[in-house]
Amino acid sequence: MSSHSSALGERHHQPILVCQQVAKVFHANQQSSFTALEEINLEVARGDFVTILGRSGGGKSTLLKLLGGFITPTSGQVLFHGVPLPGITPKIGMVFQENTLYPWLTVEQNIGFGFKVRGKQKCQYALRVQDVMEHVGLAPARHLYPHQLSGGMKQRVSIARSLAIQPDVLLLDEPFSALDIQLRRRLQKFLLNIWQDTEEATMVLVTHDVEEAILLGQKLIVVGGQPGQIIESADISAPVFSDRYDRNFLDLQQHLERVVGEEPDMMENPFSWATVSGPKITSHS
Amino acid sequence: MVKGNSGRLGSISRSLLPLFCGVISCVVFVGVWEVIGANPENPIAQVLPPPSKFLPVLFESDFKIGLGSQSASIYQSVTVTLIRVISGMTVAFVGSIVCGLLISLSKWSELFILPILGLIAPIAPIAWIPLALVVFGVSNLTAVFIVFMGVFFTLTIATVAEIKRIPENLLITAENLGGGNFVRWKFVIIPAVLPGVFTLLRLNFIAAWMAVLAAEMTGLRDGLGTVVMTGRNLFNSNLILLGICIIGITGFAVDRLLMMIQRKFFWWKV
Repeated sequence: MSSHSSALGERHHQPILVCQQVAKVFHANQQSSFTALEEINLEVARGDFVTILGRSGGGKSTLLKLLGGFITPTSGQVLFHGVPLPGITPKIGMVFQENTLYPWLTVEQNIGFGFKVRGKQKCQYALRVQDVMEHVGLAPARHLYPHQLSGGMKQRVSIARSLAIQPDVLLLDEPFSALDIQLRRRLQKFLLNIWQDTEEATMVLVTHDVEEAILLGQKLIVVGGQPGQIIESADISAPVFSDRYDRNFLDLQQHLERVVGEEPDMMENPFSWATVSGPKITSHS
Repeated sequence: MVKGNSGRLGSISRSLLPLFCGVISCVVFVGVWEVIGANPENPIAQVLPPPSKFLPVLFESDFKIGLGSQSASIYQSVTVTLIRVISGMTVAFVGSIVCGLLISLSKWSELFILPILGLIAPIAPIAWIPLALVVFGVSNLTAVFIVFMGVFFTLTIATVAEIKRIPENLLITAENLGGGNFVRWKFVIIPAVLPGVFTLLRLNFIAAWMAVLAAEMTGLRDGLGTVVMTGRNLFNSNLILLGICIIGITGFAVDRLLMMIQRKFFWWKV
């Protein structure tokens, strides 16, 4: 199953973000500590769309926070463009699961916020904001405030706000998991369109939804175990993995659901019994 | 669009309903008062003359209250009192936000300063009147100081609490978008705490209002409180009631004004 191929499609370029033997230990106090992640080796190249799959509390969000410089590794290092990541940087954008829009700003002001906080004059960024809003279909909502938007619109604005300042990498922490299934599908398509339209866009998305992980990713890793490690990784850049009714897609989905479902907390996926007792899986490689 | 229109009509009738009921209850209240006070032999009428008795005082005296050189027009009394309350509250509002931000800069300043504020906050603003009169004399500064003391400490404590309540991700996002420390204070923390602190300012307005009236009754020589005291000194219950009535109406108007400011400028929830 593990296929560490170097050829990840035509978009593969030099690595932007690299994890080398990264481990993260949280210390509750002097006596007790919790190892969230260990021996993480990961490479995110320019133009990649990496999805990180795992059950809740399995360390996948911790990995994303490490990649974004929000927390520092206990051992090992995270390299950004070849040098150790110093901390939070606008070069690595982050979209959270929950709403982080500023309620006192309109859609337009929220999207322009990244320029405003860096002391740019409005005339310098108004066009860019206008462009982004049109690109993501938010132009009609430009004067609305976050409380006037639906959950899906809010997430669109969050993504647009991060994209507006053109980060090298965009990290997304379960951005759609609070949305209903139809909306989630629409936004998945929306995100994929943005990734495809933008030549050098690099994205890392964390999810516990197997289908989402396959559908969006070009490269997929599964974080699991205790402490969390990368237990599977796969190149899923082939077109068959963007069709949710394709045989290969379904096989991989079943396989991954079993991998994630074998994790201790079975309540996480109430339908895991279906894949466990399902038809024989044809091996995917 | 049809739905939108009916919704708008609905909301107008909904917003008019409280006004309508409020007017009716006021009219009934005054009506009962007038009926009871119609008989001048009635002891209640002597202590609580109805509006038909005390309102004419205004016109007879050409809107002036007081004796000789000390008389001041009613507008002047209202304005003086309002300026005192509003300037005291403004200074307290700005000061408490600045102080709250400074205290929040360090865990230690919080630990050392907050207990002192917590100790001073419950002191009734009226209790500061004698001290203020000694320090500032009979002046506007005394009134402003008393209003300030009545509001500032509570608001500072509230500001610190509001800063703690800001979701961490709002701050992390600002940092992620490239905002430095100062910028995060300016563009995230201050706007995030404004609505909560302003709400508390509005709730504390009553305390400030009472404090300044008490100061005007005890020490200062002008303002609405003085109108009531003049009535007392002249044994003129019409004047007392007139003062009380104006105090009530002005206080109500200011409260509504603050509510409107809140809706217009500090409407968001974090």
